[in-house]
Amino acid sequence: MRKFLTLVPLLCIALAPVAARAHAFLDHASPLVGSTVPAAPHEVVMTFTQNLEPAFTTAQVTDSSGARVDQGKAQVSGNTMTVGLKALGPGSYKVHWHALSVDTHTTEGAFTFHVGGK
Amino acid sequence: MSGNHRCLRALALALVFAALPFTDAFAHCFVGARFFPATLAVDDPCVADELSLPTISWSRTADMPPATEWDVSAEISKRITADFGISIGETWKQIRGPGGPTMAGFDNLETTAQYQLLKDNSHELAMLLGLIVDWGGTGASNSGIATPYSVFTPTYYFGKGLGDLPDSAGWLRAFAVTGQIGYQVPSRSFDLVQQALIPQVLAWGGSIQYSMPYLKSEIQDLQLPDFINHLIPIVEFQMSTPAANNLGNSPITTGTINPGVIWVGSYFQVGLEAQVPVNHASGTGVGVLGQLHLYLDDMFPKTIGQPLIGGTGAAPQQLKF
Repeated sequence: MRKFLTLVPLLCIALAPVAARAHAFLDHASPLVGSTVPAAPHEVVMTFTQNLEPAFTTAQVTDSSGARVDQGKAQVSGNTMTVGLKALGPGSYKVHWHALSVDTHTTEGAFTFHVGGK
Repeated sequence: MSGNHRCLRALALALVFAALPFTDAFAHCFVGARFFPATLAVDDPCVADELSLPTISWSRTADMPPATEWDVSAEISKRITADFGISIGETWKQIRGPGGPTMAGFDNLETTAQYQLLKDNSHELAMLLGLIVDWGGTGASNSGIATPYSVFTPTYYFGKGLGDLPDSAGWLRAFAVTGQIGYQVPSRSFDLVQQALIPQVLAWGGSIQYSMPYLKSEIQDLQLPDFINHLIPIVEFQMSTPAANNLGNSPITTGTINPGVIWVGSYFQVGLEAQVPVNHASGTGVGVLGQLHLYLDDMFPKTIGQPLIGGTGAAPQQLKF
């Protein structure tokens, strides 16, 4: 048993150098996921846990009626995706994103942020 | 970067993606924005390339006085195609009675074939069908650790995240449930050694889990410490209910309820659970279950993390919003 348990950290160490890339999780965003900001942001910036493949990574932002309020194609650099916003009024906005990490794993998600006191 | 270089890079990328089966995209258990971790006591609802090494449990049996049991197991799962996978697992057991002899040895080899019935991303719903086979006579049957007969268990699995609830549901959306129900059919109906019928058993279980990663990335980023944001508190349960051919045996349901937590990383996860017997026939006192689980598809995305046979082979569609 003790010998077996000794193998576990050794296995982790042996495997660690080959651990190259993985699924890209959303690490954090600005505005923060679920937050309320007093002033309308000009862009949404999302930072992921892995580098992204720009050609297959994108996002859209919609208002509560489903109308798009982003300025089109997201900009991707490294592990960061930025999407510009039109002038936003007070209200709730939803960000839908799809990401492809550089080793072809895809992930997707959505979150809401609020502008003003709503 | 010149225009030619950009063209060459785009061409190279297209070739790379055309060569890689894109169905790899949702390897281990991603369903939309939901990630179902590999659960310790029951199975998650996806085929995957993964390795559980080791899973270790300590418990005390229902005997009076109780014996102490250690189980150390390993299981590797491999996708053959994008939707079909197999698993091979083996368990080493040691049962030590108070003042009595110690029995130790390998349990029967266990294989599982699974087919992914459904992955509905928008509803965070996954369904899976499987056939578990315990191969009789492959373990230490002479010492009573393993059985000389095989057991076949067709099993249905599901997982459902609550992320499709309206935003007004708030933090509840981070909950998910998984479940499985199988019917164990032994290859023999009578045990000559024990002089008893070998029952057919309903094997059922599941989990209720709360995903802190989901809370952070989909609902509200509370800016908690990073360690907390990787946790999935969970309660698993696994039960066995004799269903047929049980004359002379105990008819009651046995099993454990396992509260615990799983820490989820990019390449592996670590889980730790208590094992609480549901009745006296299920064990004595609280046991412990721990597991290190490796995501082979993330660790080796271009080799053993791929299905053996192709997938669609299609290049990814460029997403357009």
